[in-house]
Amino acid sequence: MSQVIIHANSNGGVSVTVPTGELPINEVLAKDCPAGAIIVDDSTLPQGADSSFFDAWELSGSTISVNFTKAQAIKLAQYNAAAVAEAQKRQLNTLAGIANDVADADFTAKLQADRAAIAAATTTAQLVAI
Amino acid sequence: MAGTIAADVLMDGAGNSTAMDNAIYGSAKAWVNFNAISGSSCVIRTSYNVSSVTYNSTGSYTINFTNAFVDANYSWFTTTSADFGSDWLFANINTTTSSATEAVPTTTSATMQLYGRGSTTHNSKYVNAVFFR
Repeated sequence: MSQVIIHANSNGGVSVTVPTGELPINEVLAKDCPAGAIIVDDSTLPQGADSSFFDAWELSGSTISVNFTKAQAIKLAQYNAAAVAEAQKRQLNTLAGIANDVADADFTAKLQADRAAIAAATTTAQLVAI
Repeated sequence: MAGTIAADVLMDGAGNSTAMDNAIYGSAKAWVNFNAISGSSCVIRTSYNVSSVTYNSTGSYTINFTNAFVDANYSWFTTTSADFGSDWLFANINTTTSSATEAVPTTTSATMQLYGRGSTTHNSKYVNAVFFR
């Protein structure tokens, strides 16, 4: 079982410091982390799908929980930013007479899958079409 | 074992030589190779003169040095793999949780961030950083 160091950060989230093993973890805690940081077993961190929502983690005492409202907003913003960028690239390709390539098709398929997943949990009016 | 070898030139048995400055200033003073999408935090594969890596937010990592640099004017570069199945990525040095925010390097740590299309931040399976001074 490995140990890591956790602390609340200025973004309202949680930072996780992972020692390399060059120094004992207590020295890493004192040297690399702010006051209030604590050592925990990494098995106590959110696991599985919850680990995907790292930016929505919140720390209370030594317990980390996932703020799912925040997680949903983060995912929505990521999707819309990626969809807008891809749409702009396609517009430029069209203007320049350049065909969209295989990578564009793969990326579009991924965006469409993301859109479908997010649409199941939010309103489609919030989603940029792709 | 302690001791000092003082020399201006290093030479091998075949007569190939290099100035000692090349060995001193041309050697990486710190490096790290880590996986940032393994479970809930980073998994560090190998490192040298790096005490820890702090996972700040998606795609944002602070590399903490075991022994501090003499100043913060080191040269460093980073590489990253793609976020496989998701997007191509590029790595920025000295940026923190926003592309608009400078993370000033210090003698004890440096911060980097990984971006994909649309300026979205991503984690990556293969992240490398190397430091020279």
